[in-house]
Amino acid sequence: MLFSARNLRYHIEDCYSSFCSFLQRRAKFYLRQLGHDSMEVDEVVAHIIEQLTRLGLIGARDDQPPTLLEQLTDAQFLAFLNRSIKNKAIDRLRKKRLPVSLAAGIETYGEVEEEKDPFEDRVETVWSKPPFATPEEAALEAVKNTFLLVLLKECIRLLGNAPHQLLALEQEFEELGVEELVQFMHQEFDAQLTNVEADHMSQHKDHAHKKLRLCLQGSSNNLRVLVALRLSQYGQHATKTGERSVPIKQLMTDTQGKQDLSDQEVKRALGYLVSRGLLNWQGEEIVRFSFAQAKRLARYYEKEDEQ
Amino acid sequence: MTEKNESGNIQLAQWLQEVLAAPPGQGQTKVDALRDEEVVAGNYHPQFYTQLPDFVMALLKNEPYAILRYAPLIYHLIGCRTCHTAYLEIYDAMKAAIRSDIVVVEVEEDEQMRSMVSVPIRMVELLCELLIDQAGALLRQARHDHTQNDERARLLLQQAIYISLHIKQNNMRQHTLRNLVEVATLADTIPDPSEQNPAAHSYASLVGSGNGSRNARVWRGVHTLERPDSQQVIYLQSGRLSGAITQHEDTLELHLVELDKQLRGRYINISVLLGTLLEPVRWLGGNPRAIRSQAPVDADGSLTTPLGTTELRLSRAEDRYLLETLFKKLDVRPAD
Repeated sequence: MLFSARNLRYHIEDCYSSFCSFLQRRAKFYLRQLGHDSMEVDEVVAHIIEQLTRLGLIGARDDQPPTLLEQLTDAQFLAFLNRSIKNKAIDRLRKKRLPVSLAAGIETYGEVEEEKDPFEDRVETVWSKPPFATPEEAALEAVKNTFLLVLLKECIRLLGNAPHQLLALEQEFEELGVEELVQFMHQEFDAQLTNVEADHMSQHKDHAHKKLRLCLQGSSNNLRVLVALRLSQYGQHATKTGERSVPIKQLMTDTQGKQDLSDQEVKRALGYLVSRGLLNWQGEEIVRFSFAQAKRLARYYEKEDEQ
Repeated sequence: MTEKNESGNIQLAQWLQEVLAAPPGQGQTKVDALRDEEVVAGNYHPQFYTQLPDFVMALLKNEPYAILRYAPLIYHLIGCRTCHTAYLEIYDAMKAAIRSDIVVVEVEEDEQMRSMVSVPIRMVELLCELLIDQAGALLRQARHDHTQNDERARLLLQQAIYISLHIKQNNMRQHTLRNLVEVATLADTIPDPSEQNPAAHSYASLVGSGNGSRNARVWRGVHTLERPDSQQVIYLQSGRLSGAITQHEDTLELHLVELDKQLRGRYINISVLLGTLLEPVRWLGGNPRAIRSQAPVDADGSLTTPLGTTELRLSRAEDRYLLETLFKKLDVRPAD
């Protein structure tokens, strides 16, 4: 059986042979002078199989939700694999300090590929740099991006009942000279931080970091902000008093009408916004809110300096 | 943006990276550290890794609010080098895949016709190991997040076992499945009530064992006149103790010898850990984790008792491989 993304998911035993054979042929080609070394070929092939297994494609059947890889056409999927093999082969050549041509070009391998130099093109010189190209760049983007910084503040708010941890964070922000967060801490937690003794700060700092990490990587914080944003965007004037309304079904979809949130996710987020005093919603299928509430919701996902 | 703001941003970014990188052990209790280590043990994080293609596509299509939608993943990428490297690889490959001027990569004709038999054994081993690793990663993640991934892991382990049947060399097959019991144990968070007490003995199947003196002791112990063909027996070992599984028509029988004095005269409960993983055996009593012996251990410390029935045949190589795997861990403990 010929392999495809779907066959790798549902019929791995039937298509594994053709899949391995394809990977090996492409790996030999891109490994150039290393192509005769079966260990190197295996290294490249194993990397691709490992990645597709970790992505939940190989052998996943119906137990893993499909990814967008499976929405690619067969030709696109082959191109995806081919590029992955090529990149890994380049990686191996570099590790062995073998020459890799840096000449730029457009990828045109195909029917007469064996006659072409596989390294006449190279990723970085043709393509623009990807967003979040390094963890450092991703971190910098996270503190510059309005939404991501709002999420950080939301996570700090969740430490509200741990004044020692808040104090540890405030001290850190002061030492770092991050004015915006120092101000934020003063505005939000002045009352909690009065009379807190600065004992065992290192331990409190570590606990605060752990809670922040779990919160930032958790799946609900960003959905609250996203739902607040959609309430503002989708809110329709319904009455003369300026009351706005949005059906929950609409909150489940992005601006292009594609559903990307579940009913439960939206309701959980609405429940949180109610607990923050931003809404009066009580489980209705249509969320109604006043003009004043709309303004407060808008402030919820904006940086203070943008208000 | 002012220079001061820019400098503050850089400082804050470095701080954020430190927070998200979670240096092992720092600020954690021993239990926390162990838990985190368990997830990191697989070196990647399944719940984030599987989001990468969708995230990349959202970036490539410039979808509005993609950053907000995938914020937890972005925060994870700041702190996890393994997942970040995978993100870069997938980004580049998907970008190449959705180009409008994509050139079709041909699959050669002979690549379409081959069967599993033609796959190099090392590639079969690799696939089995990766499926077991993925099951382990899912189970560790579930344990960490207090969620359920048992069914998904079970499916992957089943496939690993069935695919391993293509490896005919006993030692290679055993090596490939070496982590199977450990991973299956991760799914075993709620032990059967009959397993509350520690096992008196924990047996493992011996693969490719012949007619050694240890095995001869088993047959002397169970007073069998006729010793079965070695190809129709699965030998078991637990330290110095031996045992065997034989087949009489559809029935699988367990033979144990030289059991401890405290087990003699008592009924025992038998637990086959991997019994819930594969379905071709109808276990006595319905639960492979709590099979009650049909007779007490005799005065010599020997026991022969049925385990269940199956259409599989120990005399058929593939069936035998499957049963050997099934009995990779068999525990016994007093029933009362």
